[in-house]
Amino acid sequence: MSTYVYAITRASQELPDSLEGIGEPALPVRTVRSGRLLALVSDAPAELRPKRRDLLAHQRVIIRAGAGGPVLPLRFGGVSPDDETVAAVLEEHEGSYLERLETLEGKDEFNVKASHEEEAVLYKVLSEDAALRARHEANRAAGGGTHDDRLAFGEQVARAVAEQERADAQLIEAALTPCAAGLRRGPESDGWLANLSFLVERDRQEEFRAAVRALHEEHAHLRVQLTGPLPSYSFAEAG
Amino acid sequence: MTVVPAQPMPAASGGGGSSGLYDVLELVLDRGLVIDAFVRVSLVGIEILKIDVRVVVASVDTYLRFAEACNRLDLESGPRKNPGLPDLVGEMTESGARGKAKGALSGAARTISDAFEQARSEAEEKKTSSRSGRRSGSSRSSSSGEEKE
Repeated sequence: MSTYVYAITRASQELPDSLEGIGEPALPVRTVRSGRLLALVSDAPAELRPKRRDLLAHQRVIIRAGAGGPVLPLRFGGVSPDDETVAAVLEEHEGSYLERLETLEGKDEFNVKASHEEEAVLYKVLSEDAALRARHEANRAAGGGTHDDRLAFGEQVARAVAEQERADAQLIEAALTPCAAGLRRGPESDGWLANLSFLVERDRQEEFRAAVRALHEEHAHLRVQLTGPLPSYSFAEAG
Repeated sequence: MTVVPAQPMPAASGGGGSSGLYDVLELVLDRGLVIDAFVRVSLVGIEILKIDVRVVVASVDTYLRFAEACNRLDLESGPRKNPGLPDLVGEMTESGARGKAKGALSGAARTISDAFEQARSEAEEKKTSSRSGRRSGSSRSSSSGEEKE
């Protein structure tokens, strides 16, 4: 029977009496121990897919186990051939996992995604670039300009917006990094100009939130979305 | 406020927090410790989150749209008043998820986008205490049809 693994934590960690894992009906979560570490595991369901229910169950086990201290959350979908292999992994990496747990102690992950308020960013790039504005006014005077005019103008605007995205990504990083103990950059995608995860000490959470709020207040063209506190997914591995 | 707490997950609190579901799932699927000795179940969608579809920005459609939007701007009076944070949260999650789907053309990409779409709409259904029959079946992907049972 293969073993599904949720998280790794210290053997001394206090855990809830019972935890429900993935699967339908939910598989009971148990522990595999080795040395000063333990892994939260359950049997692996016959078929494992990223279904919403299972993703949430995975997340829930990690959150509840993390109530008693730091945990290393595994990425969804990690399956060990058996419990013995889990124990062997704990033994092999004991030193580095303990070190990592120490680093994460008393901290949570906050994910920050930012995008542009379109109208506001267009206003910003037009008002800050005289050449672009001149072109805009020329097009306007010509009743919008020809298709090619509009295309060329739009391309310039797009370039200016992309430039603004890069500048804003740096701005956000620079504004929030001082309030955090760690930073990991997430994958880029077209929805966001920045996708950043910060490791934040619990007693600095308010300070961090205030810094996020200030970003929006000071830069009206930015939408900043903050998700957290979360288990430290992005910081489970030493950078 | 844009702060989406992670703790009140649906099962933990009976409903709240679904606006951050997409973002939470992204992290669960894409981050976290990976152990070499373990098999990673092949998960459609892990890759799609990493695809940089920024090329979308460099498209004719975008250029024309920007040109058009600039024409509507009133440069004299400044940008319209910012709608403010509280109203944005739900809308942002929406458009964020849709944005991901937009550039993703492969079948695999669709599948995971649909799964997220569905996760979201299911969460919303739950929130509005489920008007069941209205959008049953048809457009749902097979991957979680059985979850409805």
